[in-house]
Order: sequence, then C-alpha cells, then structure tokens
Amino acid sequence: MSSVSLEDVEKSYGAFTVLKDLNLEIADGEFVVLLGPSGCGKSTTMRMIAGLETISGGTLRMGEREVTNMHPRERNVAMVFQNYALYPHMTVLDNIGYPLKVARVDRATRRRQIEDAAKKVDLLPYLDRYPRDLSGGQRQRVALARALVRDPEVFLLDEPLSNLDAKLRVAMRAEIKHLQRSLGVTMIYVTHDQIEAMTLADRVVLLSEGVIQQVGTPDDIYDDPDNLFVAGFIGSPPMNFVEGVARDGTFTATGVSNLAPPKDGKLTLGFRAEDAVLDQNGRFSGKVFEVEPTGEATYVVLEMGASRCIIRGDKKFRPPLGSELRFELQEGHSLFFETESGRRVRGAP
Amino acid sequence: MNRGFFHSKTVTVIFWLCMSMLTLVPIWWMFLVSVKRRVDLFGAPSFFLDVSSMTWDNYAVVLGNPVFRKYMFNSLVVATSNAVLVSVLALLAAYAMSRYKLPGKDNIFFWVLTNRMAPPAVFLLPLFLLYTTVFVVGDWSLFDTRIGLILLYCVFNLPFAFWLLQGMVDGIPQELDEAAYVDGASTFYVLRTVIFPLARPGLAVTAILTWVFAWNEYLFASTLTSVHARTITTGLAEFVTVTGTNWGQLAAVAVLTLLPAALVLALVQRHIVAGLTFGAVKG
Repeated sequence: MSSVSLEDVEKSYGAFTVLKDLNLEIADGEFVVLLGPSGCGKSTTMRMIAGLETISGGTLRMGEREVTNMHPRERNVAMVFQNYALYPHMTVLDNIGYPLKVARVDRATRRRQIEDAAKKVDLLPYLDRYPRDLSGGQRQRVALARALVRDPEVFLLDEPLSNLDAKLRVAMRAEIKHLQRSLGVTMIYVTHDQIEAMTLADRVVLLSEGVIQQVGTPDDIYDDPDNLFVAGFIGSPPMNFVEGVARDGTFTATGVSNLAPPKDGKLTLGFRAEDAVLDQNGRFSGKVFEVEPTGEATYVVLEMGASRCIIRGDKKFRPPLGSELRFELQEGHSLFFETESGRRVRGAP
Repeated sequence: MNRGFFHSKTVTVIFWLCMSMLTLVPIWWMFLVSVKRRVDLFGAPSFFLDVSSMTWDNYAVVLGNPVFRKYMFNSLVVATSNAVLVSVLALLAAYAMSRYKLPGKDNIFFWVLTNRMAPPAVFLLPLFLLYTTVFVVGDWSLFDTRIGLILLYCVFNLPFAFWLLQGMVDGIPQELDEAAYVDGASTFYVLRTVIFPLARPGLAVTAILTWVFAWNEYLFASTLTSVHARTITTGLAEFVTVTGTNWGQLAAVAVLTLLPAALVLALVQRHIVAGLTFGAVKG
C-alpha cells in the first residue's frame, strides 16, 4: 500500500483543457472518493492515476515513486471498472487469477491466493462458472476479487455500483467499506452519487468542470461548504439559497429580517432544511407552496420572494397551502456566499 | 390457421431441394465422370451410379502421379500459409486501428478497402514484370516460387480480412484491454490472452475465406508460376491437351481439389459461433 500525490496535474485534449492544477495528497490507507456531476473530470483523474490516460502536465507519485509517464502495467494499481470488464471467455477462477498469471505466480500459490480472494467476497462456490452465468452483484464481486488477489499500491474503483439495483447497491456499499477498513488499503473511488460518497469516504474530493471545489471529510463538506457549488451539490434536499443585499450590517431579502451578514454587498444566504425550526417569532417567513411527506418527516416547500426553500417539519405536520409560516435557524447554521463569485463568506452572522 | 400455400412446409422443402440440386448435381456429375471407364464416358448419359462398371483407376493414376501430388502440396502450402499470415496480420492491423488514435484513420480504412475493388487482372502484367525482372536476387526471383504466391495472395486478401476483423475487434469492449493492462499485461499478452480468444469466431471466418480464395485462385497462379510452384487449379488445365481431354482424370482431380476445402469448412464451422462476448460487460 502507498500514498498517492498529484502535483499540478493537468489534462488537455489539444487546446481543450479538461483538468487543471489538480493538487491532491492521498494518505496511505485512506479511502478517498472523487465526487462530481457527469463530465467534471473525476473519471479522467482516476484513469490518469491508473495510467490509462496520459498526463498532460504535472507530476503523479505513488509513495516515493514518480509514475507520471509509466505504463499501467508498471504502476501496480488494481482497478474495478464500472461495467466490471470481466474476461467473458474465462471462468471466475481464471478471471480472478489473471493478474497472478501475468505475474507468473506458480499454479499452487495462485490457486491458494484465488481462493483467499474469493472467500473475502463470498465467491468460493462460483469459481467454475463463467461471467455470463452470474448475476450483476456476483460479477461485481468477481471484479473486486480480481483487484484483491494481488497486493497493489492503490485500489481504484470507477463507479463500481452504478450498474446494480438500489437494494444491492446499499449492501455492496457496506461490503466495500468493510473490506477497505479490514484490509487497510488505499482506495480511490469515483462516483456521481453523493450518498455513496458521504457514506464511504474518509475524505471527499468534489470536482466541477475540471477543478477541485473542495476536499474534506464528509462532515466538512456538508456543514462547512467552501462555495455555492459544493453547498448546492451535497445534501438531499439540497441547501436552500436566498439572494439578497447586505448594507450597513443588515441582510435584506424577501422573507428574511434582522439578519447580520459578515460583510456588505450582494450575498446569498444558504441554510439546510433540517436546520430550520418553526417559530412564531422567527426572523424568516414564507408562503406554503407544497407539502411533501416522506414518512419519517414532512418537507414543506416555501415561497420566499423569487426563491423556493424547503424546510423540514415533524412527520405529522400538515400546514394549509398558501398559509404563512415563520421559522428560525439554529445557531451557526446560516451560511453566506458572495452571489457573483459563489465564494463562501466566513465569520459569525 | 392457414399460412397459405407458399408458406407450407412442403413447398419450402421442395424449394430448398431444387436449390440444393443446382449446387450438388454438377458435383455429383463430376464424381460420376471420375469413376467411369473411358469407354463408358461417351455412352448414354445417366444420373445414376452403375456400380458394376465403376472404377477407381482415374484416382489411382492421378494420385500415383508425382506431378499432381506436388501441385496438391503446393496448393496446400500456399493456401494455408496465406490464411495464417493474413489472419495474424489483419488481426494486428484491426487491433491497432480499433484502439489507437491514428491520424487519418478513416481515410486509411477506406483506402485499404478501395484497393480491393480494382480488377486483379489489371495488375497481371506489372506483377509478372516485377516478379521476373525486379524482385530478383542473383539467380533467384519471386517468379515460380510458393513464397511469391503467398505474398501476392496476402496483398489481395489482407484488405478483405482486415475489413472482416475490424468489426469483430471493435465489438470487444476496450475496458477488457484496459483491465488487462492494469493487471500487468503487455500489449502482446493482451492480444494473446484477451483479444485472440474473443476474436476467434471472426478469425475462423477470415481464415477459411482467405484459405478458400487462395486455394481457388487461378489467374495469378497460372501466370506467375511455371513448374515448381504450380497449384492444383492451374494443374487442372493440363489435362486438356492437343491430343484430347482426359475427362476421367480431370474429374478425379477436380473431386480431390474439392475435398480439402470441404474438410476445412467442416472443421472450422463449429468456431463460427457469434455472441461469445454477450454478457461479458454489464449485467
């Protein structure tokens, strides 16, 4: 196992730059999730770490080794592909054993290591089957076992759960996390699913348009976003935004009164649905637009001027449509962003 | 549920019987001629085999003839080497075209295909001159050599083989190569353990078709060989002489020429199973 470090890494196709100034340190044994919307460059980043894409600029290191221009086979990484990439003409046994066969491990040792890996993912009874005879989840586990069978520096997983149905995804998620913890391996995981990222990661790297937006623990990213993109991307329902103007120490927006901003100018107030508490004397107010019960709670969509906000209420809470609701935010849970640049403005409101 | 007269099973069977007759009757006729005595050849024609007057003499004469055996051997060597060489080269070319970003890739592909469209006879004279006067080292020239024919058939078969295999290789998901590279394999190891087994149905088709092309080829073989590298198809013509045509032996040679092709087809047929990659990727 080893650490991975990206220094000023860049990727461009001709004049078109897809990734710029990527700087990232991944510690030995850490579980890092690259998260972002489609086309943000997360898969490209992973493919560059694997060596499947060339690196246009910067340096990539694994441990002490510089691997920037190395062929994938010399990097000693293991990768699990989104569509599993199992060799269809080989049995499960041969699929798992392929990396060992390439490395010319002798037959007896190979067999033992294959069985060890298969045991870790509960595949022992299926060793003689072909991939076409397995279910999606089993194929996924074969791909995992093929990565586990040798001792790579880094594990790379490229959206490994996206082809599974919802129930299986939740089950496999836990298995992957448990596996990573028990083996203590360095794992880099790509996904566009924020729930996956939040539940799995030691640290989340959130990317958009080829630029890292924020790196942090799931809690950091959720509670303390660096910009509007991060705040809006993480969380379900997403963070509420109310645009307004701050002048002379007062933030003015429709439905908001008596709120002190950290600075003057065009600002956007952000708050999460669960941080709103119903309060007759609250400083925030909106008109009930729609009520969405989910079973465990009720989400109320409010109209606050031009913006719509969602607040979370008790499971039996059913306010009449069109009525006025007042609420208050929990201490320290109103965040301010510069409306134009999207940057977070820190400081106590 | 009346499916109509034209869709009934009887009509279908009769139709395909007629179609089969069209192909099989000449072959049957050829066989009949090859097992008749010379005197019977010009008797009343009959579609039925007369076992009492049947003879294997023509086969014995032909197979006992060292010249004929040599022609047969030449044909086998030329067709087989050509099929192997063409299949290997075409697979490598198809892999490169499929996986690497080459400038002008589409143009190369089109150009290779158009090469195949010119009538081969156009190249006859230039090739004859090249083989006899240009590709000469000391006393040795490409003219009348098996290697000369093999190389020439490669030139004519490669575009076709390449075109056949290109689709096959394109159909093999690139993630499989990538997974193998990440697992530590070299390009040739990937070709050998991943691409080759998965392209086998396509390779079987390519090999058999190029083998048959080379086996059947007459024009170049008759022009670019004289004694040493003659193939069986050109040898057939030698049974037509100024003193008459030896129909019995000619038919025997024709039947013998047909046999290897039928045999190769029967052997390779089972590999021509599509859909091997189905279920490989995705669930």
